[in-house]
Amino acid sequence: MAVPVEDPNKEAFLERVRGALGRSTPIMVTPDHPTLKTTLPRHEEKVRTTKARTEARRPQNVARLETIATAAAWHVHRAADAEVAANIVAEIAATIHAKAVVRTAEDIFKRVDIDSTLRKRGVSPTVLASGRARRKTDLKDIAFKADLGVSGVEYAIAETGSCALFQRKGNARITTLAPPVLALVVEESQVLETLDDFFAIVRFQFLTNRGRLPNYYNFISGPSRTADIEQTLTIGVHGPGEVHMILVADA
Amino acid sequence: MPEVKTSRFKSESVKALANDNIQRALGAPFAHFVDGRKSAIETDYTEESWDSMRDRAAATKAHTIERLDYYLDLVDKNVRRNGGHVHFANDAAHANQIVLDIARQNEVKTVIKSKSMVSEEMGINDVLEKNGIEPVETDLGEYIIQLAKETPFHLIAPAVHKTKGQVSDLFEKFLDSAPTDDIEKLCIIARDVLRDNFTKADMGISGANFIVAETGTVVLVTNEGNGRMTTSAPRIHVAISGMEKLLPSIEDVGLFLRLLPRSATGQRITSYNSFISGPRAGTDEDGPEEFHLILVDNGRLNLLKDETLREALSCIRCGACLNHCPVYRKVGGHAYGWVYPGPIGAIVSPMLTGLKEGKDLPYASTLCGSCRDVCPVKIDLPKLLLDLRHKVVKSGASTMPERLGIGQWHNAMKTRKKLEGKVRLGRLLQGLIARKGIIKRLPLPVVSGWTKSRDFPALAPRSFAEIWRDELSGGDRS
Amino acid sequence: MRVALCATCLVDQFFPEVGEATVKVLRHLGVDVSFPEAQTCCGQIGFNGGYRKEAADVARHFVETFEPYDHIVAPSGSCSAMIKVYYPELFADDPDMLQRATAVGEKTHEFSDFIVNVLGVTDVGGVSTGLVTYHDACHLLRELGISEEPRTLIQNTRGVELQEMPKSDACCGFGGLFSVKFPEISTAILNEKIGNIHETGASTLVANDCGCLMHIRGALQRQGSKVRPKHIAELLAEGLD
Repeated sequence: MAVPVEDPNKEAFLERVRGALGRSTPIMVTPDHPTLKTTLPRHEEKVRTTKARTEARRPQNVARLETIATAAAWHVHRAADAEVAANIVAEIAATIHAKAVVRTAEDIFKRVDIDSTLRKRGVSPTVLASGRARRKTDLKDIAFKADLGVSGVEYAIAETGSCALFQRKGNARITTLAPPVLALVVEESQVLETLDDFFAIVRFQFLTNRGRLPNYYNFISGPSRTADIEQTLTIGVHGPGEVHMILVADA
Repeated sequence: MPEVKTSRFKSESVKALANDNIQRALGAPFAHFVDGRKSAIETDYTEESWDSMRDRAAATKAHTIERLDYYLDLVDKNVRRNGGHVHFANDAAHANQIVLDIARQNEVKTVIKSKSMVSEEMGINDVLEKNGIEPVETDLGEYIIQLAKETPFHLIAPAVHKTKGQVSDLFEKFLDSAPTDDIEKLCIIARDVLRDNFTKADMGISGANFIVAETGTVVLVTNEGNGRMTTSAPRIHVAISGMEKLLPSIEDVGLFLRLLPRSATGQRITSYNSFISGPRAGTDEDGPEEFHLILVDNGRLNLLKDETLREALSCIRCGACLNHCPVYRKVGGHAYGWVYPGPIGAIVSPMLTGLKEGKDLPYASTLCGSCRDVCPVKIDLPKLLLDLRHKVVKSGASTMPERLGIGQWHNAMKTRKKLEGKVRLGRLLQGLIARKGIIKRLPLPVVSGWTKSRDFPALAPRSFAEIWRDELSGGDRS
Repeated sequence: MRVALCATCLVDQFFPEVGEATVKVLRHLGVDVSFPEAQTCCGQIGFNGGYRKEAADVARHFVETFEPYDHIVAPSGSCSAMIKVYYPELFADDPDMLQRATAVGEKTHEFSDFIVNVLGVTDVGGVSTGLVTYHDACHLLRELGISEEPRTLIQNTRGVELQEMPKSDACCGFGGLFSVKFPEISTAILNEKIGNIHETGASTLVANDCGCLMHIRGALQRQGSKVRPKHIAELLAEGLD
């Protein structure tokens, strides 16, 4: 894809900004700001120790994630193995009398076989990915008619009770956005301790992958909510009003 | 562009004080904001202290603003490298033109919008409508005021002044829905109507809570899900932002995600945070085909070039200053006459739209300092308000009676002799209006408003200095 | 040590009894009080109004008048804040005055601050009666950080019970020029404060600032309230010989 052209107004705009700040020449070196001024080896070390700490404190992190997520109105389920996890998803579908279920085309579903468990309950999940005899334009229509959306995650963050999802092939945004009920499958090894842990890892990916990160990633930290009318809380506006987090032990 | 009514603050504030509905809205609903924030800070555990976080955030924003040209350049390069377009808009009219051009080039007929205060500065909805394009606000509060044809009452909760009854009436009138006083039902009515728009709209316009320079990433902080819808469902996404919303690195975001939700809504984190760096990549399943970021000046240079006022650009639009301001809590957002109300609005609105028209706004404060106490990025709001007052005086815009009054004071306070001379005269004259040491009516310019609701004390028959001389000094006179 | 009393313009001309009480308390605590008779005003009205040139003239006179002394005591949080916090800003472009004003600021203390933190006294020895409630004046609280000292002094006054009001730290709505520039808003804010005062059932309202007291008293009187506003100096002076 061609890089979009620079705005012809940019130089004049930046010159005015520079002038307002009392400078006539642009800054040519990376500014001395703690998060910017680091070397790649130092950052790599930081990520390494982050991952080691995460690994060492896994039970505490998972417990903390469960506590905070529950307080933020997630339904949190613990699954000892993949089969239990797959059954939980099927039970959620049964409880809400789901007729249409959609899911992403992620590897987690090779391990957590919700296709089988759902089919046993009479529901066949639709995989929201193109190249499965489906045009991209149909994804929206299917998602908006679904009762339940199921997806894996990239990471979960204990500090905030959040799931981080990266957009990529096989992972359509609309899967976790349109249906009124959402189930996210989280492997315990994906649980990070803090927001800073997440951003340190993401930044490392950015610095080493020639600056390529997904153009879209997001956090889901609870059900959709608003208090716009008389500051009274209502759950479930435009996003899912019921969110489930299924924490499954690693293989 | 929305009409600038900053010069009407005095008259509008008096109207607001007499409006029962506004007074009701400014009471209990706001207690939620205040208590929620306090609770979130005190009970939601963070490893770092609240004050330390504020210090680091203030330093980060100051650092960024001081090098804004550098970071804007970085944003531009990175967003474009990710396949997005970046536009630099000098003012609201320019920004509107950019949006229209994008819309025309892509045959856009319907637009959905999520929250963007800058788009209010632009009056983008009117502009789109005049050009045959239908804009629909998807943020529930913004949607309500769009139907009511009003401006936002608050930074975070634009429709907080509307009762559920008023919302029901609006929905009945414009959506043909059945009247109800059930708030949840009202939300569902709006949800169903808006859901239809999500699937059909050609273009989505959003704001930006933060823009990360290093990765070229727009960060959205939302609760409803309309922000995600607006930026995911349509084929074109346009993000509009003030040029000051930048942060240097993605590793700065965590700190601000701790400060903003707690300060704004008393939450540990909002339900959704989106990180958008460009259009859908080749292998992505969905998302917009085109991404545009519009960075808007619209008068922010006026703040930038002033070394004292520059820190107003650090604002992360949390609304905490409004929630804790005794003045805002009595008059609400509309009285401030433009897009931004409360303490931050009293600084930003005059500097962006004209100090002459907005000269009353910096004075609409008791300088109590509550705003400074709660600002997550430690903007010294009272200091900025004082600076603006000085600018108003220097520009010659003060009223004649006020200038004369201060002139009298200035004269009197230069020497003791002058002061005592004026006081002697005052004691003589006050015999006409004082009874038993109390003045019930002060028929003097500038100060007459006091006695409409309050008694005023008479000058004491003997000053403390005289008492000292006569009784207390014991011969020790300095 | 040479301690100069800065009466403040409001006390000097409207509430001299507060000045008398201040002197009585300080002398009771063994302080040799001087009163520089050339004093007029700290300049905050001009400064807060945006009239910095005029305020600087008045502030210069203040600095000249008070700089010979070791300590300056003022029965006012807003005046003390003006001197300590805002004189440096007022004289930022005048290096000579900046130095002199900063020196004066360092020697200046609000009345309760002086008693507790300079004299080291928490019990003045006063005697009074009744239920008392206390209003945190904004500049005293937020510019100078003083909230415990006045409460300690009040609570140690024999015969007195301190009853906190809801939102004691909420502004009373005075704000100097604000009270007459926007009288309706000022009154609305004030009425909320009055309501909170009445809720305590206290017979006396104590504050450290005559601006606030003048404002609160103005409404209490107009509304026929039985609550008596007192400056903290007046309360502490009661029962002293």
